[in-house]
Amino acid sequence: MTEFCLYRKAIRNITSGLQSGARVLFFSAVLLSTGVFSAGCRKQSSIDPNEPIVLQQRLRARVQTLDPMDVRDTTGTCVASDVFDTLYDYHYLRRPYEIIPMLAAAMPTISGDGKCYTIPLRRDVYFHDDACFPWGEGRLLRAEDVVYAWKRIADVKTRSVSWWILDRRIAGLDDFREYTKGCKPGEVDYDRPIEGLTAVDDYTLQIKLNRPWPQFIYWMAYIATAPVAREAVKYYGPEIGFHPVGTGAFKVDRWLSGAFVEASRNPRYYDRYPLDGEPNDIKDGFLADAGKPLPLVDKVVWRVVVEDQPRWRLFLKGLLDMVGVPKDNFGQVFTAGVKMSEEFTSRNIRMINFDEPSTFWVAFNMKDPVLGNNKPLRQAISYSIDRQKFIDIFFDGRAHEAYGFIPPVMPGYDPNIIAISNSYYDMAKARECLEEAKKIAGGEIPRMRIAIGGTDSTYRQMCQYMQRCMTAIGLDVEIDLFDWPTFLEKMRKGDMQMFIAGWTADYPDVESFMQLFYSKNIPYPNDCNYSNPRFDAIFEKISTMPDCPERTALYREAQKIINEDVPCAFAYHRVSFIMCHEWIQNVKPNSYKNEMSGWGMTKYYRIDPQKREEYKWKYR
Amino acid sequence: MSETTTQQNEPVSRGYWSDAFRRLRRRKLAMVCFIIVLIYAAMAAFVGIVETETFKKIFKLDVPIVRWNEQVGPSYQKPMAQYDFKPEQSETKVKGWSLFGTDFLGESTLRKTLYGVKTSMLVAFCASIISIGIGVPLGALAGYYRGWVDETIVWFYTTLGTIPYILLLMAFAVALRGREFFGVEIRGAPAVYLAIGLTSWVGLCRLIRGEIIKRKESEYVLAARAMGCSDFRILFSHLLPNVFHIILINFSLRFVSFIHAEVILSFLGLGENDKPSWGAMIDAARTELARDVWWEMAAATAAIFLISLALNIFSDALRDCLDPKLRID
Repeated sequence: MTEFCLYRKAIRNITSGLQSGARVLFFSAVLLSTGVFSAGCRKQSSIDPNEPIVLQQRLRARVQTLDPMDVRDTTGTCVASDVFDTLYDYHYLRRPYEIIPMLAAAMPTISGDGKCYTIPLRRDVYFHDDACFPWGEGRLLRAEDVVYAWKRIADVKTRSVSWWILDRRIAGLDDFREYTKGCKPGEVDYDRPIEGLTAVDDYTLQIKLNRPWPQFIYWMAYIATAPVAREAVKYYGPEIGFHPVGTGAFKVDRWLSGAFVEASRNPRYYDRYPLDGEPNDIKDGFLADAGKPLPLVDKVVWRVVVEDQPRWRLFLKGLLDMVGVPKDNFGQVFTAGVKMSEEFTSRNIRMINFDEPSTFWVAFNMKDPVLGNNKPLRQAISYSIDRQKFIDIFFDGRAHEAYGFIPPVMPGYDPNIIAISNSYYDMAKARECLEEAKKIAGGEIPRMRIAIGGTDSTYRQMCQYMQRCMTAIGLDVEIDLFDWPTFLEKMRKGDMQMFIAGWTADYPDVESFMQLFYSKNIPYPNDCNYSNPRFDAIFEKISTMPDCPERTALYREAQKIINEDVPCAFAYHRVSFIMCHEWIQNVKPNSYKNEMSGWGMTKYYRIDPQKREEYKWKYR
Repeated sequence: MSETTTQQNEPVSRGYWSDAFRRLRRRKLAMVCFIIVLIYAAMAAFVGIVETETFKKIFKLDVPIVRWNEQVGPSYQKPMAQYDFKPEQSETKVKGWSLFGTDFLGESTLRKTLYGVKTSMLVAFCASIISIGIGVPLGALAGYYRGWVDETIVWFYTTLGTIPYILLLMAFAVALRGREFFGVEIRGAPAVYLAIGLTSWVGLCRLIRGEIIKRKESEYVLAARAMGCSDFRILFSHLLPNVFHIILINFSLRFVSFIHAEVILSFLGLGENDKPSWGAMIDAARTELARDVWWEMAAATAAIFLISLALNIFSDALRDCLDPKLRID
């Protein structure tokens, strides 16, 4: 107090001799100099070792639900896969991709006929601590939790979007679904025994299939099949999607829909960093954390940033640890088309790129009266699309032209596919086919429509590009931009004539693509409404066959049939580009988990917060 | 002689409209703006006419603006830049340049901007007509009859008015797109002007209602009533012509906001899909700015800026001239 009075007195002495105008100037100068001084003296903040290490992730859209059986989009899968563990998972480092046990204690024991799976479970897996459990303490995972989760998928009343995975697959599960149709909501007896889905004891699960299903192992690594605690479902009721209680490496603490999801480490998490990987992994530093308990960070924050440019700016400011490259920023990132520009190398930003198991195409509705019965018209459209130019414009030349549905990264890809394909650019052939098409149509081709499931500028431009290609050969084409739900609805109703669509394989098996053309999957996922008994026979045959050269030959045969019938004009296979800051380590891409902002991989990432702080300070 | 002199010195008696237009003509800036608006309108009409099949057949005129979707150069060429380019139907390269540069498909930004005039003017004009078509009769009926008619209409527009405008507009645009009415599918520009017109009549309705309430006890209305005129005749032959200046002022003021609404809808991907529009151009340029493609944004913004400014200045002048309370010499 005394000190303050002395200061006041001193200031009064100085200012007393000044005129009022000069007094104002004096105080302004003091304030300004104080501001400048304090700004100049701002210190780079150092990291408190006790501060939790936070991973800063981003999401492209808001998370709709975190109930595994209802997760239907990439965003939800990203977060849910870090919160819920599945029975099996892909080995983080080994390539080619290998399925390894996660919640399971070992790989399944499969009976000779390929129908009976016996799966032992780990005995050290706990659910997250949550109010739904007695004393708020998570209990041990039991085989019954897997049985319960899968019964929930089958329950008609839950309206799970994942039923198609288990439909007609597990003995007795379809009967259970029929039984639930007659029950009132909340009255379904989940203790009702099912022949093909039983918990032999607390840690042994037995599954009997209706017929062999070699891809089953991949589905047990899929988020929809993750075990769920019955207590949580009972406690939270219809709100369970907003209160995830899983066994994963992270537990959701705060979730503001449309803004962010914040999760902290599960202190009782059982898994450890892999001890081995590919030969180069030691050199590349991927095994520096071998054997360490997971996760390697304390917290993860998924920030919802819908727009490309704000997401990109946040990354450059150091407020996101990794990000994809928006199409309009390729030029900024790369110089001369191949090397990263100086701006990024000087910031120690590194780029990871990998082929996605994805194919995109212009789909033709085979039930459409104009397109369905006019193969030369479909061929003409396919030949009219300049795929390389499309890739140059929208991906800065960084994608592959597609000649068939099997992406180059997947086993079964035929390098000579172009020889049997109708999906390549040839204007002369396009015009030739169009003349033939006009003869079939009995005159000029009526105006056609092409649609896309998005309304922003990139979608509009993609549609405009396709329109341009088709009008170049003399077709009259209009474009329709639909928001995603409307697009899906129209696709399911078969209301669209042509539309730009695509598929990313869920697992390393071409069957994932073949189901898109199987006639029993009309209208979804077979949205072309394509039907060919020869193709169906092959699909049915391979769906029960184990992986072998004969099966690969059948894939190629199926692809040949599709290329002959032209239910779609294949356009491109995507390549993913991920930009990472130097402080994030252990980022190894997985083609089957192409969105790297989670998807069960967050637990492996290591962060050096000091480096992040230095970067933020330098580029503030 | 003296009678003739008196007649010469007497102020000339002018009607309401001729007086208003005389005042308007005196305002130089307003007249410049009016000419700009007329140029925009003429451009819109011109594009609308020359792109019809009939016109093309009769006159066989080649108007480049109509060929807005023609590739005139490589993608993303800067304004005034010279380039070598191979046209679609040709095997040889030609030299070219574009005044406002090219977009991602190599289409001329200038042509798209000029074509956008038609889209914007058409949408704004049709939306204004729809808005007036709903707002004026409802407002007049509510103001004239009062009672339950008034209460119903007021309740209706108050309810509609409580919903935020942009959200309402988007909801209408989404709901109308792709719907069929009497066998005609609503898409493109009609979907946009229907959405704008159906959502923007509330203000005008409220205004007209107030004016009619104010004027319905006027002497000329009483006289008409005494002459045995029907309600319909009083309303539409006597009252509405007297509030016509309000409709006109409102029309010109709202025209700008309708142009903006079209831009907003196109920006959000709910506008015209097949044809160029300023909103769609700004939407495309939004992300392309990151690769230094500024000319599409600049061209569309300049076009919007000019018409908005011209319409605003002209509308203000028009209001000043038509509203007796605001008249100044």
